[in-house]
Amino acid sequence: MSEVSDAPDRAGGAGGVRVRDALAGQHVLLTGVTGFLGEALLQRLLRDVPEVRTSVLVRPRGSTTAASRVATLLGKAIFADTVEAAGGVEALMAARIAVVEGDLTDPPALPTDLDAVVHCAGDVSFDPPVDEGFRANVVGVRELLERIEEASGHGERDVHYLHVSTAYVAGRRRGAVFEEPLDHAVDVDAEVAWGLARRPEVEARSRSVDVLTELGKDAGRDRRRAGPLTTAAAVEEARRTWVKDQLVALGAERARSLGWTDCYTFTKALGERVVEAHATRDPRGRRVTVHRPTIVESALEQPYPGWIEGFKMAEPLILAYGRGELPMFPGGSDTIVDVVPVDHVVASIIACLARPPEPAAPAYVHLSSGHRNPLTFGAVYENVRAYFQAHPFAATPQGHVPLPVWSWSGTASVQRAMSTGERLHRTAERLLSLAPRTDRTTGWIRSLETQGRRLAFLRRYLDVYQEYAQADLRFVDDAAVALRDGLHPDDREVFAFDTAVIDWAHYLQEVHCPSVTQPVRELDVVRAKRKKVDPAALRTLEPRADGAGGQVAAFFDMDGTLLSSNVVESFLWLRLADLPASRRVGETARLARRLPRIVQADRHDRAAMLREVYREYAGARLEDLEAIVDEHLTAHVLERLAPAAVRRVREHRAAGHTTILITGALRPLTRPVAPLFDHVHAADLAVDDRGRCTGQLAASTVVGESRGALVRELGRSLGLDLAASYAYADSYSDLPLLEAVGRPVAVRPDVPLYQHARTKRWNIVDWTSPETSTRSLDPAGRR
Amino acid sequence: MLEVDDRTPPLLVHEGLGFRLEEFPLGTRVVYPPEPQPTVPDVDEAILEALLHPVDSEPLPALLKAGMRLTIAFDDLSLPLPTMRPPDIRGRIIEHVLELAAQAGVDDVELVAANALHRRMTPAELRHIVGERVFRSFHPSGKLYNFDAEDRANLAHLGHTDKGEDVEISKRAAESDLLVYVNVNLVAMDGGHKSVGIGLASYKSLRHHHNAKTMVHSRSFMDHKHSEMHSSAWRIGRLIKDHVKVFQIETTLDNNVFPKPYEFMMKREWEWTRRDQATALGMRRGLGLMPQKLRHRTFHDVRSAYGLTGINAGEVEAVHDRTLRKVHQQQRVEVQGQTDVAVFGIPYVGPYNVNSWMNPILATCVGLGYFFNSYLGSPIVRQGGVAILYHPLDEGFSTLHHPSYVDFYDEVLAESTDPAVIGEKYEQQFATDPWYVHLYRTSNAYHGVHPFYMWYWAAHAMDHLGDVIWVGADRKAAARLGFRAASTLRDALEMASSTVGNDPTITYLHNPPHVLADVR
Repeated sequence: MSEVSDAPDRAGGAGGVRVRDALAGQHVLLTGVTGFLGEALLQRLLRDVPEVRTSVLVRPRGSTTAASRVATLLGKAIFADTVEAAGGVEALMAARIAVVEGDLTDPPALPTDLDAVVHCAGDVSFDPPVDEGFRANVVGVRELLERIEEASGHGERDVHYLHVSTAYVAGRRRGAVFEEPLDHAVDVDAEVAWGLARRPEVEARSRSVDVLTELGKDAGRDRRRAGPLTTAAAVEEARRTWVKDQLVALGAERARSLGWTDCYTFTKALGERVVEAHATRDPRGRRVTVHRPTIVESALEQPYPGWIEGFKMAEPLILAYGRGELPMFPGGSDTIVDVVPVDHVVASIIACLARPPEPAAPAYVHLSSGHRNPLTFGAVYENVRAYFQAHPFAATPQGHVPLPVWSWSGTASVQRAMSTGERLHRTAERLLSLAPRTDRTTGWIRSLETQGRRLAFLRRYLDVYQEYAQADLRFVDDAAVALRDGLHPDDREVFAFDTAVIDWAHYLQEVHCPSVTQPVRELDVVRAKRKKVDPAALRTLEPRADGAGGQVAAFFDMDGTLLSSNVVESFLWLRLADLPASRRVGETARLARRLPRIVQADRHDRAAMLREVYREYAGARLEDLEAIVDEHLTAHVLERLAPAAVRRVREHRAAGHTTILITGALRPLTRPVAPLFDHVHAADLAVDDRGRCTGQLAASTVVGESRGALVRELGRSLGLDLAASYAYADSYSDLPLLEAVGRPVAVRPDVPLYQHARTKRWNIVDWTSPETSTRSLDPAGRR
Repeated sequence: MLEVDDRTPPLLVHEGLGFRLEEFPLGTRVVYPPEPQPTVPDVDEAILEALLHPVDSEPLPALLKAGMRLTIAFDDLSLPLPTMRPPDIRGRIIEHVLELAAQAGVDDVELVAANALHRRMTPAELRHIVGERVFRSFHPSGKLYNFDAEDRANLAHLGHTDKGEDVEISKRAAESDLLVYVNVNLVAMDGGHKSVGIGLASYKSLRHHHNAKTMVHSRSFMDHKHSEMHSSAWRIGRLIKDHVKVFQIETTLDNNVFPKPYEFMMKREWEWTRRDQATALGMRRGLGLMPQKLRHRTFHDVRSAYGLTGINAGEVEAVHDRTLRKVHQQQRVEVQGQTDVAVFGIPYVGPYNVNSWMNPILATCVGLGYFFNSYLGSPIVRQGGVAILYHPLDEGFSTLHHPSYVDFYDEVLAESTDPAVIGEKYEQQFATDPWYVHLYRTSNAYHGVHPFYMWYWAAHAMDHLGDVIWVGADRKAAARLGFRAASTLRDALEMASSTVGNDPTITYLHNPPHVLADVR
């Protein structure tokens, strides 16, 4: 650890360094300005250190250039004053912000007149895949330093490199941590080489028979009904997820084996070694500061109290607590949670820039609160609880949610409770996927899904954060105090970063919580307004104004979508209508006995089930079947129509769309609804030369993947614009149908389809036919 | 007529597929229907007598000639309510007419159900009305059928009335040498020129009187001389008379609507025997335990053993005058003065949910369209008064019978409940919608425009009343209809107090059986 120097040419007079004077005319390069910390830093530099010129290293994203990303950034409210003073975004950029377009994995050449570089870009995810962690936090740093070397003529120009690290590079150490190099003997190069080599290796392993079989077993369970291609797609997706999970697990495991909490802190720690090597790369040495903030949260004062971008570490937990969804916590109530406001971090970075260290003697600065103004989990809990008691979230229809009371019973019991919850959830899910779909089960599916999301959320935070929740670390911040004391008294106010002055009750209750709950409250207001309309309402259809891009079509499945019935039931009625009353009882009993097999077949493979059902028609005259349909089943079908579905079909027609019915049901059954559709694709029974059904179908049924294929074929032959077309279906086996169009809608979906629709953010509607439909084939016939 | 005092037992109030025993506040006036009228001793004799000695007309045999074209039209299943125990009176009359026609050597005979925009009846329902023999003789050959008001090729436009109303009716009926119409005159608004002029008419013709404006000025439907709708029908009927000879047959029934074991429902509660009380309590308990479908079946399986109180045949208006006298004898009750609050219990069946479900729109029509309008002179409830109706409004819709109702409820009523406004904006669209037309013509659906007519029936009441409160109703459904719901009569009266004060006069119309309040 080295003393902070007073560079004579930049120091102020007696009373300390004046930041503006020290940095006047300097050229500072910033990375990561599109992130939370970088954005705040840029804003402060532009506003409070007007004599500084900045360059920003920004990656182009898609077709958006780096310059236009920076322009968008400057359009944000916190830059408004500066932009206005400069006379517009373009003027400001021309005068003070040079954009260097490039990616940190392969940084471009840097300007040759730099005085300082602040590197605050990096992967802030705690659990990155191991190679990405190394690439962002070690290799990226090394590359950037190389470019700085080149730009500075290998030390000819004095460039101060300020490295934003994290206090948690201390890893699993306990007790006081000082502002000094980390004490470890990890071979950085060996670890980097190992980390980067993991992806090809895991990728290769993921393609092995064992892994693919295992993945296929899971992914294929529900999906088999939809057909092999859909199953294959699901397995491939599962494989990609598996690769990522493996890489994450490898990183975390290696980190833990060396004494770090996770891959993030581990790679960050190795990054510091790279920086230290840079400081002493030749006898002349380089100026280097390692800046280690703890958990950066919303601003205390600047640009305004509570300013925060995106959700950081604690926000999801605070929101979850307010919604009553965080019933327990894995830490101890007396464990210190080290939080610092972002404006303090930014101010201390600027102070570091104003007081660069001597070459070859890296300076270390902790920006932390725990040493001099400790905040415990217990205090956070009390304050957050007090905040929500005073300002609860909008009440649900069932009233306000009670705020959970934490018992601080320790990690083990929390883990136990979680495992039990997860086991129960899995069992319930398994059971529900077997149950028939009724209003009640549909409700259960929904609440189960919500519960599942909550459990997954709890599990994630438990896994990721529990290390932090238990970390009994005290980050000593003597250097930061000295840095502050070295500033001119005026600057101690402007660039305030004394964390000891923070009143935590004020910060949590008046600043932080109001700020992070704000978006949720706004959303609640919007939702409350929207409640007057049906939340599940689909967007109304408008006829296409442009008329270009082909015809829009709407594909409808019949059973379960248009009708609250299924092939089995329809078949049953078709048979029964054909029989004298005396035989109906027997037939019903016979079918009841066979039902389990039919249902089993349905679960396994819809086409097989339909074939099973259609065998029953062998020997029937097709003419008779059609007569029965016209006489009895028209009413049966129309009674079971879901009014909302019919309305939607008609809406599509009114909008000029082509409406197409695709069903595995027999064609005669579609006759009552045929007028609603331009095309009907149904099953045709094969007939022998005497007009009797053979029990076979004339062509194979359109189910599963053949539905997708049919849609694509129709798209081609009818000149349809499938990306703008709609499909409505109820079962996972219809997935290929739904995925073949750009606007799929799940109608009263089964469990796997519901889950799929949720992940893909598809519309889910609940079309039902009235419960009242009578089952009598002959309403006047009684008595 | 009874005034509730402290000895009055709880009174029976119908509410859809069930009933309540309600304790009314002291002083409530209860209007009971009169006792059943005497019936004719021999139905067949009475029928023949009417056909052979008609009013203001030659006897039927004299009108029947070989080679002529004869059409027999008859009321559909909306009459009577509940459905008559077989044999249906219409079938018996038709048999006699057919016999006379056969004797005269008439062989071009067609039978058409005058269902206008009502749903097509199923073969079983047709069979029930005309009887097995007639059904078997005519239905297979297509000579017995439902009227199709959308079959453009088989409609005849007969011209315009002096008020410019289109007269368009069944072509077969219009071009017949004789049109015999067989009525069941359950209430005073049935029959007369309404039979042919409305029962066999198309939308083009019906729209002239089935609209909010006309209906608001029909005071009441039960009094054809003060009903705009009937005036229009009379103009139309007179024009039809110039084109086709109409032989009108009208029948009147007694009010024995509830057969065993439901007959306690027709008795005054203080005359209930122990047995009646036990049945009422047991039935209430039983209905409470039944699922809705079973309750539906229990009620809709009721077939009433009506007695024939009179039959008249001949010239339309002369026949109708005699019919009205009979109907009034059976149903008219004098009521002294109007009331602040009228209470109506909506039973399980109305004209449009026979063998089907009483959806909220139909319940409104029965309550505010029929029961409210069941008056002569002035409405039972004063201008600005309150109607309290009993119905759970939870039966939902039959997508088979009432497909356009669902859309009317979900889309039209969601926007407005003002009959004039919705008529102006949506009626045309629903009336001409090809899907509704398709369903009306090929399945058993009411015409697309029919829910609008239901709403127009209630227009006069909505215009006249200060508030409408449904007891025991689904709150959402009541709100959608533009009304409020209360869980008990006490709550409803509490809610009504802002309109009619704390001590309103209350009148309970104990219906069914039908009662026609002659308000003095």
